Amino acid sequence: MISVGIWIVYPAIRTFARSFFDRSGTDFVWFDNYRTVFTSSTLLTAIKNNAIWVGVVPALVTSIGLVLAVLTERVRFAVAFRIAIFMPMAISLFAAGVIWRIEYDQAPERGAINAVIAGVHDAIVPPGALPSALPSTTALAGSPRQGFVLRTPTEPGELALLGLTGILPQDVARSAKQATLPQPQPGAIAGVAWRDFRPGGGTSGVVEREELGLPGLTVELRDRAGRKVGTTSTGANGTFRFPKLESGEYEVAIGAASFRQPFGGLSWLGPKLITPAVIAAYTWIWAGFALVIIAAGLAAIPRDLLDAARTDGATEWQVFRRITVPLLAPVLTVVFVTMLINVLKVFDIILAVAPDSVQADANVIALAMWRASFGGVNDFGLGSAIAVVLFLMVVPILALNVRRFRREL
Amino acid sequence: MASVTYDDVTKEFDETVAVDGLDLEIADGEFLVLVGPSGCGKSTALRMLAGLEDVSRGQLLIGDRPVNHVPPAERDVAMVFQSYALYPHMTVYDNLAFGLRNKKVPKGEIDQRVRNAAQILDMESLIKRKPKQLSGGQRQRVALGRAIVREPAAFLMDEPLSNLDAALRVQTRAEILKLQQRLGTTTIYVTHDQIEAMTMGDRIAVLRGGVLQQVGKPEELYTRPRNVFVARFIGSPAMNVVEVESTSDNGRDMLTSKGFEIDLPEGMLAKVSTDGADGLTVGFRPEHLELSGADDGSGRARIPAVVDVVEYLGDEQLVHLHAGEVPLMAKLSVDAGRVEIGKHVTLALPLGKLHLFDRKTELSATSAGP
Repeated sequence: MISVGIWIVYPAIRTFARSFFDRSGTDFVWFDNYRTVFTSSTLLTAIKNNAIWVGVVPALVTSIGLVLAVLTERVRFAVAFRIAIFMPMAISLFAAGVIWRIEYDQAPERGAINAVIAGVHDAIVPPGALPSALPSTTALAGSPRQGFVLRTPTEPGELALLGLTGILPQDVARSAKQATLPQPQPGAIAGVAWRDFRPGGGTSGVVEREELGLPGLTVELRDRAGRKVGTTSTGANGTFRFPKLESGEYEVAIGAASFRQPFGGLSWLGPKLITPAVIAAYTWIWAGFALVIIAAGLAAIPRDLLDAARTDGATEWQVFRRITVPLLAPVLTVVFVTMLINVLKVFDIILAVAPDSVQADANVIALAMWRASFGGVNDFGLGSAIAVVLFLMVVPILALNVRRFRREL
Repeated sequence: MASVTYDDVTKEFDETVAVDGLDLEIADGEFLVLVGPSGCGKSTALRMLAGLEDVSRGQLLIGDRPVNHVPPAERDVAMVFQSYALYPHMTVYDNLAFGLRNKKVPKGEIDQRVRNAAQILDMESLIKRKPKQLSGGQRQRVALGRAIVREPAAFLMDEPLSNLDAALRVQTRAEILKLQQRLGTTTIYVTHDQIEAMTMGDRIAVLRGGVLQQVGKPEELYTRPRNVFVARFIGSPAMNVVEVESTSDNGRDMLTSKGFEIDLPEGMLAKVSTDGADGLTVGFRPEHLELSGADDGSGRARIPAVVDVVEYLGDEQLVHLHAGEVPLMAKLSVDAGRVEIGKHVTLALPLGKLHLFDRKTELSATSAGP
C-alpha cells in the first residue's frame, strides 16, 4: 500500500495539480494548458496520429497473429517458425526502433527495405544506360524524362549527329570505340551517337579523335506526325542507319528509356510515410506476441469440434469463420485490448525510428508529453496536462478490461 | 443412402500400421458395429471413411463412388463423436442447422428439417439452449440430431454412448436402434463394448491390432468364433480357454489339461484339422457350465474344481474356480443353490459347447457346436 501510495497515487495527484500551473510552476493558469493541448498544431497532429495508431494497430496485429497462428498450426516446423516470429519481442522497443531506422534509410545502398524495392523495381523497369547524359549542343531538344530529338528534321541521304555529354566515364560501355562519321547514303538516314566530350577541350557538335561512340543506344525514327516508323541500335563506334526510307522529313530521337534514373528509394522516414513506417516496425515486434497467445488459444480448441464441422459439410474457410474464430473470440479480445493499451502508450519506438526532423509529424500523445516536459522546452505544466489527457483516454479501456476480467473470474 | 466398401484399406502413421488391409462391405441400410479393444484401429477406420484421415493404401467407396480423395465436406456422411463435439457458441438450433447452412439449403427447409429432427429426438423444448445448459444425455441427443437432420448417406458413430451413465446408455442404445430402423440409414458404429456390439449390430466386425478378425452376425460370432481372440472378446464373462494335450487311445479320444480331462465322442478328434504337433486349446463359455448332478449321462464332460470367489448377481452367480492349476469361470444359476467358497464342486459341460483351437495359430480347429 505504501509503495503504491509513493509511486502511483502521489505522482498522479501531483501531475493532475501541476497541469493547472504554467511552465515555471508558480502561476495558476486554470485550463490554459489544456487549451494548448487541443489547439496547438503539433499536439493536434499527435492526437490525430494516436487515433491512427489506435484504429490500425490493434486490429492489424490481432489479424496478423490470427492468420499466422492458423497457418503455422499444421506446418512441420511450426515451432521454429513461431520462435522466429516471436524473437522481436525479446528486443527492447528502442533497439528494434534503431534497427528499423537503418532499414528504412532512403538510399538503397544502406536501407534494406529500399534495397529490396530497388531490386524489384530495376528488374521490372531497368534504369537507362546513360542516366546522366545531356545534349552537347542545342541541336537536340527535349529532356531526360522525354528523351531527346533532333530539332531539325532529317531527310533520307542526310546524316543525323546525336552528340551527348555529361556521361560519366564508367557509364560508357566497354565495347565503345572511336566514334566515326558514317557515309551518307541515298534513301537512308545514317548517323552517329557519341560522347561529345574530349578532355582538354574540343568542339561540341563535331566528331573528333578520342571521342567514343555510344554503343547499344536505341535510336528511334519518327515521321512528321510523331509516329514511330523504325528503331535501330547503335554500333560500337556509335553509328546507326535506317535504310530504305521513302523521301520526306523524319525526326531522329533517342527515347527516354536510355536516360531513366535508377530507383532512388522511398523516403520512409519523411514526413508523409513516417507514421505507417513506424506502425510497420511496431507490428513486426508485436505480431509474435499475438501469434503465441492466439496459437495457445487455438491449441485449446478441441480437435473434435473442427472434425465435426468438416464432416458437417463445412469447407476449411467455413470451419475457420464459423467455428475457429468464434471460439477464439475471448483470446482475440485479450490480444486486441492489450494492444489497444500498448498503443495508447506508444512512445519509445517513435523516438527511435523517427529522425528529429520528422518527430513532429510522427508525434503521438505520449511522445508529445515527453517532448513538452523533457525535450528541451521543459514545460512541465503542459506535459502534465497531456499526461492527464492520455490518462483519461486509457481509463475507459482499462475499466472495460477489468470488468471483463471480473466476469471471467 | 448407400453402401460402404473398404477395399484392402491400410492406414499407416509413420512407423505403426493402424489399419492393415481392411476388407469390409457394408450393405445399404445395414447397421455394422466395428468392435475391438482400444488401439485396434476401429476409430481410424471410421475416421478414414469420414475423410478426417488419409487412406495410405487401398480404396474406400461410398456407394459406387471412390472417396479416397474427396474432402469430408463432400462425402455426405454424418459423424457422431464420443465427446459429442457440439459447437459451444451455438444454440441447439444452430448446431442442428450448421450442416444445412453450409450446404446453402433454403432457410424455410432448414427450419422444417431442424424442427422435425428435434421432434424425432423429443428435444423441442431445448432448441434455444446452448450446449453448456444441457445434461449429458441431452447433448448426446443433439449430437444425434445433428447427424439425422442432414439426411446423409451414412451415419458414422464413434463410441457415442461412452460418456453416458449405465442406465442412460441402455436406454439410448435402444433409441439409436429404433432411429436407425426407422430411417434405414447405413450406420457404422464403433465401440469397444462387446455388449453394445452384440445388442446393436446387424453384423459385427471384430478388429485387433488393425487386422480384421471376423465379420458376422452376433450369433455367428458367439457360436462360431474364428479364433481365440474373438472367442474371448465376444461374450461376458469371457470364455474359458485352456491348453490341452490330445491323445487318441484305442478309439478313445481324450483332452488332458493340467487340471481335468475330457472324454470326446468317438471320431471327433479325427475331424480336428491341426498340424497336431503344437497341441490344442479348448474353449468353453462360463454360461455353459452347470453344477453336475448325479444323473449326468454321456455327452457331458465332468470337471472337478474348487471355488475361489463367488460374485452373486441375484438370479445368477459368477463363480471363480480352479481345477488343478487351471483357473476357470462359471456362470451358474442360483436355482441349484448358492456355492460356497472353498467347496469342491463338479461342473458339467455339454460337449456340444466345446470350441477347439489350434494352439499356435489360435484359429478355430473345429467348432464342436452345432
